[in-house]
Amino acid sequence: MSSLVRAAWRSFEISTRLRVVSPWAYLNWLVFPVIFASLGLFMLTSSGFTRVAYGVLGGGIIGFWSVAYLDGGNSIQEERWSGTLEQIFAVPTPLFVIVIGKIVGSLLVGLLAFLPTVALAYFGFHASLPALDPLRFAVSLAVLSFSFFIIAVALTPLFAVWRWAFTVLNGLEMAVYGLCGFMFPVTLLPGWLQPVSYLLSPTWATRALYASASPTAGADVTGWWLITFGLSAVYLALSVFLYRFVEAKARVSGELALA
Amino acid sequence: MPSDPPFRHAIEVAGLRKVYTSTRGTFRRTKVQNVAVDGIDLAIAPGELFGLLGPNGAGKTTTVKILTTLLLPTSGTAKVLGYDVVAATNAVRRRIGFVFGGERGLYWRLSGYDNLRYFADLYLVPPQVSKQRIPALLEMLGLAGREHDKVEGYSRGMKQRLHLARGLLNDPDVLFLDEPTIGLDPVGARDLRVLVRGLADRGKTIFLTTHYMFEADAICDRVAVIKKGQIVAQGTPGSIKQLVGDIGVVEFEVDAITPEGLERLRTLPGVSSVVTAELELAQRVTIHCAQPPEVMTQLGKVLDGVVLHRVSAREATLEDAYVELIGETS
Repeated sequence: MSSLVRAAWRSFEISTRLRVVSPWAYLNWLVFPVIFASLGLFMLTSSGFTRVAYGVLGGGIIGFWSVAYLDGGNSIQEERWSGTLEQIFAVPTPLFVIVIGKIVGSLLVGLLAFLPTVALAYFGFHASLPALDPLRFAVSLAVLSFSFFIIAVALTPLFAVWRWAFTVLNGLEMAVYGLCGFMFPVTLLPGWLQPVSYLLSPTWATRALYASASPTAGADVTGWWLITFGLSAVYLALSVFLYRFVEAKARVSGELALA
Repeated sequence: MPSDPPFRHAIEVAGLRKVYTSTRGTFRRTKVQNVAVDGIDLAIAPGELFGLLGPNGAGKTTTVKILTTLLLPTSGTAKVLGYDVVAATNAVRRRIGFVFGGERGLYWRLSGYDNLRYFADLYLVPPQVSKQRIPALLEMLGLAGREHDKVEGYSRGMKQRLHLARGLLNDPDVLFLDEPTIGLDPVGARDLRVLVRGLADRGKTIFLTTHYMFEADAICDRVAVIKKGQIVAQGTPGSIKQLVGDIGVVEFEVDAITPEGLERLRTLPGVSSVVTAELELAQRVTIHCAQPPEVMTQLGKVLDGVVLHRVSAREATLEDAYVELIGETS
């Protein structure tokens, strides 16, 4: 195993262990998704049970997104509070390697959000997805995970240089619920807002996931996967500049320490 | 892999300057510039234990953070083992260790061993090496047997020793210690000083910042005194004391002394500074002066009615020299 892979693996292992003992993580993957799923399922049940996939999967996607997107950044904030941010910044391992380990841990924990929401839908509302295409669904979920991974890796360093990043990005987290169609189709959004949705890679991955869960005619799932990869590649390229910026900014302003 | 550049000094700093920019005000924000380090020069030989002394806010920590690649200088150059800290950041990071004082900087919910193993991997230490080095460091620092306990259960001294173990994981040639004994009890601080001196005796270059003068006097080969970002004196502890060689010290204790009484002491001939320190039930007054016997004879007159205890005269220590150089009076 190369030394950088080992460093990323250790970062994954340590951040996962710290997450296991953090009550905050349980809120994100267990409590909040169930609340969102309950709301969605109540609404869908009362409206005649159409688009049931949004009820079954919506809460899970929200929980998955919350953990994947915010936990990485939150862990950087915790590193600052515990005084370890400077320590991990000044090691020979590049920051993005450490962040990758953290985000992979977040993704795996985030996937757990589907367990309580699907269980709630099945046992609580007798809602299921009988037409689900397992292969396409699995690939779509992997593509969605990839899109979350890239966004989290790209944005996490902002938490290192801006202490207020958590507040701002926390707001964006919720905006993405609607913009990317986690619980309802993007087509329900105002027309002027939809172009913003189309610039976000999770929009396409989510669309593919729902199309795989309850196949509809004319769904170009493969095309949506490719758009997700294309947008993710753009984010990744931008993140290279962001990491350089963060490194320089942190070393100019001394923002890594609390005082 | 390219070979290391040749170097004469383990640490070489020339004209180093760091200016922080911050903002003031809520609605009408104005930019404020704060000069933390103001053109310092240092040259530290390999294997030397060098102390940077100064009061809070003098620029010690900023200097250490520039040398450990955590901060970029505004101007000037800094090299560690011949590598420029700006241009060759990663080469510097591989070859140094650093320890900041205080309890923070560790993962409290993990064990000491897990903390060390994590940082060993982040320092890219091969596993076969870290498997031997971590137990050796735990043994050396007196943490063996407690390594699998969570750090949150460690005493302050144990946490500080764990910090030191972390700083030594990559077997660095240069170790930076920023106030490593801060907050430690006297025995813990002494043990840590012995360890640090031992590391220097084994050939490691050590850059220590402290505002405990006796600490610097006891273990440093050379020291520099920094004041408002500028080096005001540099040399061996002995040579620094000689800078104020003609200064003697008169000390006494009183129940309480008035500001007027202190002012009268300052106007005595040959007195350069008067410093008070709060004791448990009294105040200690330290007078730096050219002629201690003369000052002693004057004490009764200028402090008429004040009962003096433990009046003594002695030679200047490094702390006295420091106070003279920093010009702190109270």
